[in-house]
Formats: sequence, structure tokens, C-alpha cells
Amino acid sequence: MSTFLLILITGVGLGALYFLVASGLSLIYGLMGVLNFAHGSFLTIGAFTGLWISTKVFPNPTTWTFIAAMIAGGIAAGLFALLMEQLVINRLYNRHIDQALVTVGVGLVVTALLAGWFGSDARLFPTPLWFMKAVTIGEAIIPIDRFVYIGVATILLIAMLSILKFTRIGLIIRAGVENRSMVSALGINVRLAFSTVFFIGGFAAGVGGVLISVFSYGVSPQMGGSWLIYGFIVVVVGGMGSISGSAIAAMLIGVTNQFANYYLTGLGDFVVVIILAAVLLTKPSGLLGKVNH
Amino acid sequence: MLRWKYSRPLLIAMTVIFAILPFAGDNPLSKAGLQQTMAVAFLYGALALTYDLLFGFTGLLSFGHALYFASGIYVTAILVNDFNVNLYLAALCSIIFTAILAALTGAASLRTTGITFAMVTLAFGQAGHVFISRDFGGFTNGDDGLPINAERVPDFFIGVVNTKYLYLLALGILVFIYFAAWWITESSAGRVFAALRDNEQRVSVLGLNPNRFKLLSFVLSAAMAALIGDAMLIVSGSGSPRYADAGTTIALLLMVILGGPVTRWGAVLGGIVYSVLSTRLNVLSEGSAFDSLPSFISGPLSEPAFTLGMIFILIVMFAPGGISGAYYRARFKYLNKGK
Repeated sequence: MSTFLLILITGVGLGALYFLVASGLSLIYGLMGVLNFAHGSFLTIGAFTGLWISTKVFPNPTTWTFIAAMIAGGIAAGLFALLMEQLVINRLYNRHIDQALVTVGVGLVVTALLAGWFGSDARLFPTPLWFMKAVTIGEAIIPIDRFVYIGVATILLIAMLSILKFTRIGLIIRAGVENRSMVSALGINVRLAFSTVFFIGGFAAGVGGVLISVFSYGVSPQMGGSWLIYGFIVVVVGGMGSISGSAIAAMLIGVTNQFANYYLTGLGDFVVVIILAAVLLTKPSGLLGKVNH
Repeated sequence: MLRWKYSRPLLIAMTVIFAILPFAGDNPLSKAGLQQTMAVAFLYGALALTYDLLFGFTGLLSFGHALYFASGIYVTAILVNDFNVNLYLAALCSIIFTAILAALTGAASLRTTGITFAMVTLAFGQAGHVFISRDFGGFTNGDDGLPINAERVPDFFIGVVNTKYLYLLALGILVFIYFAAWWITESSAGRVFAALRDNEQRVSVLGLNPNRFKLLSFVLSAAMAALIGDAMLIVSGSGSPRYADAGTTIALLLMVILGGPVTRWGAVLGGIVYSVLSTRLNVLSEGSAFDSLPSFISGPLSEPAFTLGMIFILIVMFAPGGISGAYYRARFKYLNKGK
């Protein structure tokens, strides 16, 4: 029972990290039809910025410096996403395949740039001491960092849903996901919504990058690539353009991955692909998908 | 007519020259090092062409093509090493296996279209990569790579003095794939592929099943990729998980964009240029070429992916059509001069 609980909570924690990567991908695709292969590099930029804050700016990690590192990582990744959207994506307006291709290029360049500056070796991310502790629930001993991932992802989920639900720009984004040409036809500036979505997506990925470097014990230029693929899988399973769909799919995939890894000796990655195939065969638009570009 | 009337004779002449050069006395291609580099480059040229068949001709953006290349490599290597199968028979089996694998994964992926299709193929490719690198069942030897048992490879492919035969093998495969791709794209099925890319709805209105033809294109390009994989196994001597990596498919995409899609020779040229360039840039970065530059510039420059990624971005943004596209634009201008 205690093992079961440990795996369950670890799975939810992993799902929280998947959600941080996938939410931005889903929104960007839902609104603009851009498959963002540079999303992994947002994550890596966030992680490196966070590392810089926690080693150079505040050398003694405390709870507050960790929060600062997360926010700084999120902002840096968000700004980079905004820059990419303005300089590159905007110029390829409505050329969806070219937009996807160009993000592939950006992803490659950022990875190579960071590898050239900082080397390819993984660096340890300093965390506050209480991250190493564990809590006991019933008989299960659960490392405390799991709860940090879940907490941060929940806060960002609520924040994103509130922005989408209660603000004007959120309304434009939601309308744009359903029918972009109609929104522009009504004379509403959709471009601002594009930039917002890129910043929010980049921010979530950047925060995710900081947490992922804690989870996987290191920051390296290549870290974005493998997480990006999971992000894609989560987005496809959850349905394009749906934040709640991403959240559900991220939990589903995180938990199944952990259970399959434990009970089927390391088959987690396969089970994830099987879930993907099963969802696509029964419901090609994903669990909560609305968009059909 | 945008095609130059001497282009076919030129192509044949170049193939003959490339085939003779290693045997023709003292020239750069008579050295084993360059022969090996060129053999790998020829195979990537051929592989880029099979990807062009999917992406350029049929309009299917797949991110899992490397899976079929790697399956050609690994099935052959496993059959030869563990089951003592004859090399040529093993290669044939690997092609059949890959075609079946592609038919199954392709049928599932083709339930989706466009960008979702790209993501699904990416997931399948990644599953293959995980399968190889984690060494399930103890067949693939994981991250260390799987060397083929040299005793079961014909003698004339073994040893540095025989690199020229590897070079010829690669050139032969490239020529074969080129003709196969030519035959496919000029056949009536090939016309349907192009029609699917341009207007899928119209194809179904004409009473043809779009998915059947997409699957045909998918399986054909996968089977050809497996054949190239077999040749790569002999040329490089071993399989490695990086052949199944999403990075390999992305490299193929870069090659096709660099050379220009839908022209056949564009993809081949892109593949060769990319392959040679990434090898040469690696050599350059290990030397002292960038030492005089400040470290924040020389660092990224020593990563080939940085230079290639920048070229790629610039081509997508400012020169769609790549090398062959630029050539045809120039030729179009030339032919219309004075009109």
C-alpha cells in the first residue's frame, strides 16, 4: 500500500511537470496552429536562468531564492518566446508548416548555443535543504519535492484558467481557439493574443524547466528535447487548445508511466505510446479537443 | 521547360566520374578517409530522398522516419549476429519487417492529419528509440551500439584498403534509390501522391481513397529507408541508437529543406552537403580554426548544429526551395529574359 501511494504521488508530480511543458504547446497550437518545436528550448532557457539566479545571484539557496529562480526562469523563457514570436513566427503568417520548421531550427540553435557557452555536462541545481526531506503519509514515505511540483503546477493551472476565463485577452484567446478568422473579422486584434499566448506558454515552460532540473538532478542544454516529446504526447492525448485537457492527460500519462515503470519493469515509455495510439484510434481529436486546423 | 536539356547526361557523367575516381590514381577520393566520409554522405543523400518522397512529394510531415532506417540496421544486425542468417537474406528480411512495421504504425498515424500526424509519428519513432537504447530482450546492446559480426560480412567490405568498395556500395545504393524514387514519382501512383499534397479533397472526389495512397507512400519510403539502413550497417560497421533518434529525422528534414523539396536531386544534394558539412565542421572545431575568436562566439561555432540550424532558419524564412529552388528560379528568369 505504501509503495502504491508513493508511486501514485510521484506519478502525479511527474504529471505536474508534463503539464507545465504541455500547457503552452497546447495553447500555442490551439490558437495559431503552430507546432512549437522550440518549446524544449524555452524549458532549457528557464532552467539555465534559474541556475544562474540560484548560484551566482543568491549563492545560498533558501525557499525565497528558489521562488525567485522559478519566476526569473519563467520570465526569461517567456521573453524569449515573445522574441521568437515577433522576429520569426510573425513573418511566416499562415505558413503553418514553415512555422513548425523554423521552430525546429530555433530549437537546434538554442541547444547548440547553450552547449557552446556552458558545455554539455549536466550541472547540479542547488535547492533549499527541506527539498531533501520526506513526509510520512500512513506508512508511505514520500519525498517532499513531489508536492512542490504539484503545488506550483496547480497554481499555474488556476492562474491560466483565470486569465482565460475572466480577462478580456483570455476571452479573445478562447474565441480565437474556436474560430480565429471570425475573431479577426470582427475587428479584434488577434496578434496581441498571439503574443500573450507565447509569453504565457514560455513562462510555464520556463518554470517547468527549473522544476525539471530539480527533478532530474541537473541542468544541461539537451534537457529540453526529451521533455518536449512527452509534451507533444500529452497535448495530443488531451486535445489541442484545451488547458484542462492537457492537465488531465498529463496526470493520466504521468501516473501510468510511473506504475508501468514499477510493475512492468521499465515499460513506462511504451505504455505511454500505447495510450497515445489508443486515444487516437478511438478519438482522434484527443480527450477534450476542440480545434481542427 | 525549366529542366536543362543536358541535365540527364550530366547526372550520368557525374555518377560515372564518382565511380571511377577512387581507382584513378592519385586524387583526394583515392584516400580511404574521404571515401568513408563520402560513402556516409551518399547514404544520407539517398535517405533524404526517401524522406522527400514523404514530405515533399506526398506532403506528409513525419517525424518518425528514422525509426525505419534504424529498423533496417538493427533487424539485419540481430539476424546476422544472433541467428547466423546470411547477410543478404537478413537484409531482405529487414526490409520486409520494416515494411510491415511501417504499414502498422502508418495506418495508426494516418488516422490523423497535418501537425497531429507529425506528433504521432514522433511518438512512434521515440518508442523505437527507447526500445533500442534500453536494450529490451537483450538484442540491441543498448547505448553502446551493436557492431555487426565482421566474419559474416563479405571480405571485400572489410578493412581500410577495401573502403573503396564501401564507397561503391553506397554510390550504388544512391543510384538505385534515385531511380526507384524517379520511377515511383513519375508513375500514376506518384501523380496521386502529388495530388494528395496539393488538394486532398479533390482526390477523394475523383473516387480514390486518400489514405490508401498515403499509406503506400509511407510504406515505400520506409522500405527504401530500411535498404539504406542495411548499407549503413555495412559502411559504418555497427548500429547505434542515435540512428533511431528524433534528431536523425530532424536532420533529414534539414537536408530536404536545404536542397529543396520535390526536385529529387535537391534532396540528394542537400543530404550530401549536410553530411559532409557536419563532418567537416566537427573537424574544424577540433582544430584551431576558431581560437582567435572570443569564446562567446567560438563556443557556439564549434557546435555544427548551431551553424546548420542558422542556415536552416534563414532558408525557411528567406529562400524557400533551398538550393534547387534557387536554381530553378534563376533558370526561370534566364528563360524569360527579353520577354
